[in-house]
Amino acid sequence: MESMIFDMAERLFRDHVSHGLREDAAAGQCPEALWTRIEEAGLHMALVPEEAGGFGVPAAEALGLVRIAGAHGLPLPLAETLIANAVLARAGLALSGGRLTIAEGEVLQLERRGGAVHARGHLTLVPFARWADRIVTIAALDGADHVLSLPVKDLTVTPAQDLAGMPRDDVAVDLDLPGANAAALPGSMGGMRGLGALVRSLATAGAMETILKMSVEYANDRVQFGRPIGKFQAIQQYLATMAGETAASRTAAEMAADSYDTAAFALTVAAAKSSAGEAAETVGALAHQVHGAIGYTQEHALHHFTKRIWSWRDEFGTELDWTQELGRAALSSPHDTFWHFITDSTAQGATA
Amino acid sequence: MTLTAFPSPPPGADYDDLRQEVRAFLAEELADFPPEKRAESWNGFSRDFSRKLAQRGWVGMTFPKEYGGHARSALERYVVSEELLAAGAPVISHWIADRQSGPLILAKGTEDQKRAIVPRIAAGELCFCIGMSEPDSGSDLAATRTVATEVEGGFRVNGTKVWTTYAHVADYMILFCRTGKSDDRHGGMSQFLIDLKATENIQISPIIDLGGEHHFNQVVFDNTFLPSDALLGEQGEGWSQVMSELAFERSGPERFLSSFALIEELIRLLRKDATEAQQAEIGRLSAHLMVLRQMSRSVAGMLNEGKNPALQAAIVKDLGALYEQDIPRLARSLLSRPAVPGGRDSYAAVLAYTELAVPSFSLRGGTREILRGIIARGLGLR
Repeated sequence: MESMIFDMAERLFRDHVSHGLREDAAAGQCPEALWTRIEEAGLHMALVPEEAGGFGVPAAEALGLVRIAGAHGLPLPLAETLIANAVLARAGLALSGGRLTIAEGEVLQLERRGGAVHARGHLTLVPFARWADRIVTIAALDGADHVLSLPVKDLTVTPAQDLAGMPRDDVAVDLDLPGANAAALPGSMGGMRGLGALVRSLATAGAMETILKMSVEYANDRVQFGRPIGKFQAIQQYLATMAGETAASRTAAEMAADSYDTAAFALTVAAAKSSAGEAAETVGALAHQVHGAIGYTQEHALHHFTKRIWSWRDEFGTELDWTQELGRAALSSPHDTFWHFITDSTAQGATA
Repeated sequence: MTLTAFPSPPPGADYDDLRQEVRAFLAEELADFPPEKRAESWNGFSRDFSRKLAQRGWVGMTFPKEYGGHARSALERYVVSEELLAAGAPVISHWIADRQSGPLILAKGTEDQKRAIVPRIAAGELCFCIGMSEPDSGSDLAATRTVATEVEGGFRVNGTKVWTTYAHVADYMILFCRTGKSDDRHGGMSQFLIDLKATENIQISPIIDLGGEHHFNQVVFDNTFLPSDALLGEQGEGWSQVMSELAFERSGPERFLSSFALIEELIRLLRKDATEAQQAEIGRLSAHLMVLRQMSRSVAGMLNEGKNPALQAAIVKDLGALYEQDIPRLARSLLSRPAVPGGRDSYAAVLAYTELAVPSFSLRGGTREILRGIIARGLGLR
């Protein structure tokens, strides 16, 4: 099953996510036809448990789709929809289909009004809000995490975008949600920040693999001083550095994906998102250095990937946010030594 | 792109029971072992400690039982290794033998060699050193000039090896040298298993490092006779044999935990009240440690499956050396406390020791530049 869904996604993205499609999306055009294909393939349901209508793919493997979507620069909210559907299913809310997105809900003020929940507040940098049917968010009500499913048609959306031209909209929320759109979230999934950070980390790893591949190809093809620039030790050192950073980020993101929905997730996702952000800096800079001036043009595909990894640093917690959180945990841990803190709190059977 | 994929270690790789046993053993054995000794990391030498560790079954863990080993997985060995390093235990007496010489002998040695040597490694009795670098052959290993010439009953060796760690106390050396001519730059090389205590005409003299420590040696072979059964593996196959050792040598937790004593000292001092900026730096340090550890465990998993993850190992070593070398800078950026060799307090002593140790981390076991060249070629650079 795993390799089937994987191969299907890889083929779909390879055949349909072109430089032109990414350009059109950055100019504001939602690739509707491609989304239809994604839904027909069922990719958007991969993280939903079998009993709720998914395919029973292990979570870490379903999350692998996000990495390959990142590797292709997919300009659609697949990662967001995967997470949104998984959270809706966990809360027992209906999976209505369509494009979904996610937002950190802590800024919303919730109160019970009759049988409904009233939500009010301002969401910023919501990915793809104007292309989405619903925004799924997690917020506290009566001291417990609740999942809210906000119909975009009932919200006020003000368009804005990230560095890569992808929709990151401001959304004003002021509405009553019936029980069908608001329910308690059982289990230990945490807030939307961690889940968003997980998918951005995976996508960053995928995009960096593409950036690395493009850079190696360019270094092999581009001839200066009578030989391919990849023959120069300086370029080799850059590419090796990019490979190390990319491998570390992928490992970090997959470690977090492995601990999805377990006690170790809080720390592994912090490591994943901060590593991804830090690596994006190095990998992006070196890729442009290897590519020279041509990589700095609109015409060349490189910028779609470098701008994405730079943008993703700012979403669902920056490097500073996550390293501070991790550092606070390390410095206040009851473990005898720092080593015990690291090993025990990231072990597979770790308790919170 | 397989080079950037580090498969997750298999479920159960934490081996928590084993880990707790090792921790209990270390708490007892190292109860009075001060931070400034722990700072020596895997350069600390104690035959007594290695023997005690072996008595617990924690040396030669992955070796077959018929050769005195314990037939445990590379991941179980990993748990023991990282616990030893994190505690700063003095492990060098058995470390090289356990990590690469033992596995090499098991893979390439004759039955007699295996029976004579491997059980004694697993008993923690044998210290090995590696005769690889030479005065004119550092990163460029193929420039090796030491030569073993075939004579009646064996070989005569002439040449000089340098930077040979712990040769002055080691029982055995695995020597890499020339045994013939070849058109191929990598051909005509062989490895030998040398009993240093029983072989005449080998002069071992100290090379003192900049910290005043005696780890390195120069080893001169002056018409040294080696019996034919000292040959390890195939004559002329030394190059590929050495290359297959590298994944063991380059991927372990010793490639990012060498400065760990300083990390523990630093965190001990920051625990009471840290600023947000200090928290963030400790968080960054934690994140990198978690990721390096996962990558290193991944390589252990690949080794356990019989793969040769030499390229992934090069990545672990390159990133690991950057990490462990950066710790003194990080400490200095978070605390304004001087480094004092020998110490006015344990932090001062550990910082001083570590500052002087770190330049070697990106030299030993393959320089940074060589590793990156290997990685770049592995990426498909033509």
